[in-house]
Amino acid sequence: MTTALTEERAAGAPAPTPPAKRPRTRRVSRPSETRGAWTLMAPYVVLLMIGGIIPVGYAVKTSLERSPTPLDPTTGFGGVDSFKTVFTDYRFLDTFTNVFATLVVWLPIMMLGIVGLALLIHASPGRFGSTMRFVYYIPGALAGIANFVLWVYLLNPAQSPIEGFWNALGIETIKQAVATPGHLPFILTAMMFFQGVGSWIIVVNGGLNGISEETLEAASLDGANAWQLAWHVKLPIIKPWIGYAALMNLAYGFQLFLEPQLLDQVSSNALPDQWTPTQLGYAFAFSNYNFPAAAAMSLILLVITLVIGLLIVFRSGLFGEEEH
Amino acid sequence: MTQVAVRPPVDRPTRNGGRPRGVETWSAGRLARVVTMLFVAAIFALPVLGFIAMAFRSNDGVAAGDGGFLGLGDVSLDNARYSWSQVNGFGPDGGLFTRWMLNSLVVAGGGAVLAVLAALPAGYAMARLRFRLRRAVLLVTLVTMVMPNTVLVIPLFLEVNAVGAVGELWPVALIMGFFPFGVYLSYIHFMTTMPRELVEAARIDGLTETAIFWRIGLPISKQAAVLVTFFAFVANWTNFFLPLALLSSVQDNQTVSIGLQQLIGASPLFNPTVAAGLDVKLYMPQLALATFISMLPLLAVFLGAQKFLIRGETVGAVKG
Repeated sequence: MTTALTEERAAGAPAPTPPAKRPRTRRVSRPSETRGAWTLMAPYVVLLMIGGIIPVGYAVKTSLERSPTPLDPTTGFGGVDSFKTVFTDYRFLDTFTNVFATLVVWLPIMMLGIVGLALLIHASPGRFGSTMRFVYYIPGALAGIANFVLWVYLLNPAQSPIEGFWNALGIETIKQAVATPGHLPFILTAMMFFQGVGSWIIVVNGGLNGISEETLEAASLDGANAWQLAWHVKLPIIKPWIGYAALMNLAYGFQLFLEPQLLDQVSSNALPDQWTPTQLGYAFAFSNYNFPAAAAMSLILLVITLVIGLLIVFRSGLFGEEEH
Repeated sequence: MTQVAVRPPVDRPTRNGGRPRGVETWSAGRLARVVTMLFVAAIFALPVLGFIAMAFRSNDGVAAGDGGFLGLGDVSLDNARYSWSQVNGFGPDGGLFTRWMLNSLVVAGGGAVLAVLAALPAGYAMARLRFRLRRAVLLVTLVTMVMPNTVLVIPLFLEVNAVGAVGELWPVALIMGFFPFGVYLSYIHFMTTMPRELVEAARIDGLTETAIFWRIGLPISKQAAVLVTFFAFVANWTNFFLPLALLSSVQDNQTVSIGLQQLIGASPLFNPTVAAGLDVKLYMPQLALATFISMLPLLAVFLGAQKFLIRGETVGAVKG
């Protein structure tokens, strides 16, 4: 079973295993090869240090410092005080509750959309299917702030093409649309779905295209209709891609920042300023100038997404190496 | 019927009355599928169409609800010209938007160049050379690749702050050069296109490891180079949080993604008090035009890389 294999890989991968335990390596690496490898990797290793390792190390150090206050401007070793500051902050639990509320709405819709649309496209060979796949991808080209401005256009009843929808809900301003309690998870879901579903359809579709024609023919011969084919044949085969998509989107949900931050701006600050954990970390750094707390908050998010990342790499079965 | 052309008719009994596959009639299921797909396509395409139309509409037309369906009747190039004068009039002396676009080109382009220069040799080394820590480096690359880069922004800010370079463009480009997904793409590329035997043969010919990469690996890596550059450029261009944390303090050094946020903040639609003090009036047509212009470089790199994107689709986000 793949689980056992990946666990073995998980145990063996991070540490430089002694040569005796490496069944795949028949010969010991030559010094010239090692030297060449590190020479070639040098630029990447430097960037990895600057962009990944050093900042994390520096954040650990910063999080253990004491934040200067007007009464006590000294800094120094503060132990886990900054973590206490973060955990006991009145907004801390709320931000995670908000993210969970969004994930509960968004993830099922997102996964249903990705898998459903990918299966529909796969069931439509030829030009119609590929045209639809392209159309679904178009909003994905508007990433980040561009997607946000587009949503400002959709959310503002004064000029929105879905004005009728807002009127039916009795909503007349963008502030009402965004800041009515309970709306935000749904609005974020719509924004992220619109922006993200297209590229994931392409990924899952890639998995579907890998299914051999014979498998599908055989199932058809056994009398499976299109629905049964999708449910009993295609779906089990693309499970790794579905798991990969679900975990990647889960990790993505934890780092929400741009959308809630800017929705607050366009709704006359009617939303809580720190709605997600990332916003809270940003506020610690740039509103309170409490860098130790900001660092602690980042590390908490880092650990969460790191765990999800390790799950993706070891459990999805898509990153097995040395198969070529 | 497109299906006929794609699949040769198979002479086997199927559930729809012995007709060969591919010449199915419009069954209820098929009709439902096509209608569903067209409906979803409309949901995806119409807002984008209406938004692009918005960039070419007039403030008065939008306020009056002119133009009919999605405002398409209100579209003209003159409107866009007026909107551009407003967008580019933003800033103490105007021209700030152009400046932001140039800054974005510098950091996104510079970051993409760094990313590809680092990714190709690293991907090659991991794919075709054996050394201690190889799997460790690969694991770190994979994990950082699947983690959202936003979680590292505050630590990166602290790092850049420690060297006193907050507000400058070069640290942003340098950090954007760290692009693990590009290393993974290169790794897969060399795994699939460069046989191990080729490396062995070159070694027997007396080439050093770096020379093998330069003389054999690099010449066959155009596909990977284009893909890495494309994905890195797009990721850098649309990056919001990193420039926000690192560049907010210097208005002249911001990128266009942060700039758009400022334009929104200066719009009378959302902030009448701030907007009242400005010469330029940024309503929805102006914001849509600024967004539309900010997307043009992405469109350009997409068209440039299109050939390689289609061919490289199987390389995609994950290994197929």
